[in-house]
Amino acid sequence: MAETDILFTPQSLGTLTLKNRFVGSAHEPAYGEGGLPLERYQAYLEEKARGGVALVMFGGSAMVSSAWSPSFGQLNLGDDRIIEPFKALSDRIHRHGAYVITQVAHPGRRSRFDSRNWLAPVAPGPYREPEHRAAPKIIESYEIEMIQDDFAAAVARCQKGGLDGVEVVFQAGQLLNTFLSPDTNQLENEYGGSLENRLRMGREILERTRAESGREFIVGVRMVGDELARGAMTQEECLEAAVMLAETGLIDYLNVVGGRAGELVSGSISIPNMSFASAPYLYLPSAIRGSVDIPVMMAQKISDPRTAARALADGHVDLVAMNRALLADPHFVRKLRDRRVEDIRLCVGANYCIDRIYAGGDALCIQNPATGRETRLPHVIRPSGARRRAVIVGGGPGGMEAARVTAERGHDVILFEAEARLGGQIHLASAIGWRKPLAQIAVWLEAQLRRLKVDLRLGTKADVDDVLALNPDIVVIATGGRPVIHGIEGAQHTVSSWDALSGVAAFKTRVLVFDDHGGHQALVAAERAASNGAEVEYVTPYRAAGIDLGGTNIATHLANLCRTGAIITTSQRLRHVYPENGRLIAVLRHEYAIEDEEREVDQVIVECGTLPVDGLYHALKSNAWNGGELDYDALRVNGAQTRRVNPHGQYQLFRIGDAVSQRNIHAAIYDAIRLLKDV
Amino acid sequence: MQVEPVAALSFAVMVTFVVFSIGLLRRIAIYRRGRPRQIPIIPALFRVPRRYLVDVHEKVDRDRLGSWMHILVAGGFLAALLCCCLTLAWPGEYFLRLAGLVSAAAMLGGASLSILRRSGRIEGYPASPSQGQWRILGPALGFTSLGFAGWFLSSGQSWSAGSVLAAGLFYTLAAASWRAPLRHALAGVLNLAFHERPGRFAESPDRGTALTPLALNEPRLGVKEATDWNWTRRLNFDACVECGRCEAACPAFAAAQPLNPKALVNDLARACELPLGDYDGQGHPGAPTVTTPTRHAIIPGFVQAQTIWSCTTCRACVEECPMFIEHVDAIMDLRRFEVLERAAIPAHGAAALNNYLVADTPGGDDPARRFDWAAGLDLPLVSDIRETELLLWAGNAAFDSRGQRTLRALVGLLHRAGIEPAILGEEERDCGDLARRLGDEATFQRLARLNIATLQSYRIGMIITPDPHVLHVMTEEYTAYGEVPRVLHHSQLLDRLVADGRLGDLTGMAGRITYHDPCYLGRYCGEFDAPRRILSSIAGELVEMERARGRSRCCGGGGGAPVTDIPGKRRIPDIRMADAVATSASVVAVACPNCAVMLEGVSDRNAEIADIAELLARAAGIET
Repeated sequence: MAETDILFTPQSLGTLTLKNRFVGSAHEPAYGEGGLPLERYQAYLEEKARGGVALVMFGGSAMVSSAWSPSFGQLNLGDDRIIEPFKALSDRIHRHGAYVITQVAHPGRRSRFDSRNWLAPVAPGPYREPEHRAAPKIIESYEIEMIQDDFAAAVARCQKGGLDGVEVVFQAGQLLNTFLSPDTNQLENEYGGSLENRLRMGREILERTRAESGREFIVGVRMVGDELARGAMTQEECLEAAVMLAETGLIDYLNVVGGRAGELVSGSISIPNMSFASAPYLYLPSAIRGSVDIPVMMAQKISDPRTAARALADGHVDLVAMNRALLADPHFVRKLRDRRVEDIRLCVGANYCIDRIYAGGDALCIQNPATGRETRLPHVIRPSGARRRAVIVGGGPGGMEAARVTAERGHDVILFEAEARLGGQIHLASAIGWRKPLAQIAVWLEAQLRRLKVDLRLGTKADVDDVLALNPDIVVIATGGRPVIHGIEGAQHTVSSWDALSGVAAFKTRVLVFDDHGGHQALVAAERAASNGAEVEYVTPYRAAGIDLGGTNIATHLANLCRTGAIITTSQRLRHVYPENGRLIAVLRHEYAIEDEEREVDQVIVECGTLPVDGLYHALKSNAWNGGELDYDALRVNGAQTRRVNPHGQYQLFRIGDAVSQRNIHAAIYDAIRLLKDV
Repeated sequence: MQVEPVAALSFAVMVTFVVFSIGLLRRIAIYRRGRPRQIPIIPALFRVPRRYLVDVHEKVDRDRLGSWMHILVAGGFLAALLCCCLTLAWPGEYFLRLAGLVSAAAMLGGASLSILRRSGRIEGYPASPSQGQWRILGPALGFTSLGFAGWFLSSGQSWSAGSVLAAGLFYTLAAASWRAPLRHALAGVLNLAFHERPGRFAESPDRGTALTPLALNEPRLGVKEATDWNWTRRLNFDACVECGRCEAACPAFAAAQPLNPKALVNDLARACELPLGDYDGQGHPGAPTVTTPTRHAIIPGFVQAQTIWSCTTCRACVEECPMFIEHVDAIMDLRRFEVLERAAIPAHGAAALNNYLVADTPGGDDPARRFDWAAGLDLPLVSDIRETELLLWAGNAAFDSRGQRTLRALVGLLHRAGIEPAILGEEERDCGDLARRLGDEATFQRLARLNIATLQSYRIGMIITPDPHVLHVMTEEYTAYGEVPRVLHHSQLLDRLVADGRLGDLTGMAGRITYHDPCYLGRYCGEFDAPRRILSSIAGELVEMERARGRSRCCGGGGGAPVTDIPGKRRIPDIRMADAVATSASVVAVACPNCAVMLEGVSDRNAEIADIAELLARAAGIET
């Protein structure tokens, strides 16, 4: 019996019997359209059910009140229009033997005043929350009543939509969380003061909810187990609150979470990235589970089968909730169940998904482009029935994904990689301790290529003759890029971030890192230099360090740079570097004041991105039947590429990833799957 | 007084007959030392020709050389003997002599083949036949045939030919009832006539075993000494010709576990005090043959315990044996005594039997969890609906994630066909197969009675199970304790659903598939074709392993072998996977949860192991 078999024992939840212990926890992928979960959202959730989880939760902070409009594309439960899409959704989930629950929430102060309805956010205190920065008005009693009505009406809509239950949000800095926390609740009436008073709003909502729903409907609470912030709820207080909630007899389960959303760092605490150990807050549900008699679950970086099994077997939880692990692989549970553990694409904690939402986008997985694109990209590549020969040049993430997809299509695949190992730039990106887990992306891909018996020709730099000699039907150029230093006079006195990270250039005493890119690259180089004992100044022309990075990752970089005493200088562009007295003078110009200043340093590390390595691509175009050209209309909707320009062409030629232009891991992998899924 | 060679030879034949008769009576006396068994003698003897010409021939003819050798030797001998007898009356008859000569020539040819076969010089011919006195048999028969030839050439006038012939006849006939190898002709004929399982020889053979329900209040449970067997069972061991076909087929022997079925049969014959020649074949790998037994108890007097616990009960030996010896039934009798009277069982066997006592399952799994895998599938409980067309019997594999995969695929297929199978839930107890194979008849009988009572308390049209062990035990062995509804293996029902087009469009699979016959579905229940029909409807190419159908090689998972876990030099599933790999198939289809676990456990197997239900579900586009 496998250690993980325990995860496949049924569990009662209210009146339901869940087929296993896996729950897809609620989050907001921002796939809502006009506040509704339409085709894209439904397909995304259905894939989790198909992938084997017993309970699919969704609707991260789905909003019960229409008045306070969504801040980033959450669902709007405040309108009857949601009932029809809910019906479709619940049918699609139930078809796979799974159940479905939405969160119900009110954002409180975690909102903006300048959104659609221009309403001042309401909260039990007057102080702003730093992420949204809107100063709330103190909630009045008629608003309390109105919001309670909204909760009851929203729950009724969920029930009419065929959902199996709701999860009332008592966390994440939302309204009920701010009622609960002593430092955000300044009310002096029966809703403020003692813990019992601070819990009153939530309790009354649960009473209204339960009265509305009856006993057959699941009502759960997502509850903080420790707010992990000074002046906020401690673990003891959270435990007390959890027991009080459970003892009301109103709820069917507790979903425990560590951290809240009250400080800028909160997001990175409550959505622990790859710098955190596995399951860092498992002790929180563990403490609560011993004191309540309803099932307890937790998500938060339970991202691999053994951790999940341990969480359950050691009695920390009754149900294992996962979110990012399922974004990386919605078929996690099914693969584990079918003993295909090695096929599970494990979440690496890159937090690309959540950071994209902070940046105003939708949730996408850094390594699995099919997630959130279920209507257009397959999670399981089906064989084509044909058997062609494909040559892939370049073994970075894009080339590896291209090889994987092509091999899954049933073709014979030969992959050339100039280096002795696969992975490409991932090895540079994971060159500092906390970024190491990124390498798992390449590890998984490589394991898949070996399973699919791809002919790996490592340490082989392919030229045109090598490619043509194989008489291929498909050629994919994934040769990546080479670092470029652009717009800096005296560039010969600088080193690229690649050389710095690969160890080609040793770090010197005083180091200036110039970041004209805004991603992880320069920050990783700065951290690496600082951890090697260098005195580091990080300089960027933009108004913030790592301008393209989202809240959970920039938090780790900034904290690390702060701890090593590195200086961060923004809005300054490196113009000129020249040697003087055995040292280097770096001339910086303020982007807006247009004033120069100088630094005397020993080393200048520059990150300006890369230029494509595309010689092979251009040399192979003339013999390709598509001439290397893409059908952009097809590409836009991820359709098959059938453009033919050369009747005498011998193969179809694709160029992907940084060999096209410098982007990121997701872009390279997405290029690969969208172009090759139909070959 | 002038004595004619004819008269002398007649006298010699009479002496031969007398010596033969004494030997025969003595043998019969030895057989009869066992427990009594009443069987009408004359009708039994009339069955011999058909059994010999049809059933024995089918087995012998699998080895063409052996088949021709027997036809020439036996046919030539009998014809020559007949001619010879006739020449005693009409010594000068030309055509009689000519016919006799031709017969003798045929016999000589056969004898040469016999010499060749036992010489060990034929390429690719197994080294399994015993040597020793068996090697003398060929030359002796050749010698006899020359005697015949000389006799016919000399028109019965040659003393020397007559002497040779007399000696030859004495050796072949008289000694046959004593110790000489030709004994097998005598014991073989008697064994054919009085075989314990006459059903084996029926038009559609009964594949059951001779495992009789054991009365648990008997003074002796199972077999301790050879006298615990009845006379026909004792006779059964005497029929061995040491040809080694069982040895070549035995998976435990191939894995160098301490079991050689041929040696075992000879051990048992000796335990029966049958006067055999010295055994000159290969022994039990890694376990020296007991040469000077000091006790009457078969174990450890004649056989070491690890020998009987190495058996997977796959019955490949039984399938191969041209003499219809029942090796596995004998092993089961010995196991019953070991377990029921001595409580002696190696490795995890005791744990499995104890688990049965506390949990009614061999793994100690809680029966209430048997249908954990079905949560979310909404299968109705029979206890709720009281009546069902189809009951799904999940079996012990329901506790294992590998088996659950098959079960889910099966339910998906049934649902696709619009069939709603019901389940017993925690009322389903283990079928008791493992208990019975391990010799724990008490547990088996308890479980059989409980399951039968449960089944009889509802109205159940039919039972379907993916586990051939359940199929076998319920259809063949429960009958002694009560009636159960008809049981089908899932392949049998799925075969019908495919034929009736009830699974919708099936997408063919690319690549090559080979099918591994489970012993308990094939050799025990006779189902070889249903799984193959299913696979040919979806497989790109269905290829057969060299050992397939009735001659399939065991995966190592039956008969409790995985729990008694007797070490060898190789693992049986590795050997079976090598058979599969030799076909270059990318998928090995199985139809038994034990086979799935055993074969999937092979490292570096390079081929997918999938139950036919899983492959069919895949082809039907059913997500499980």
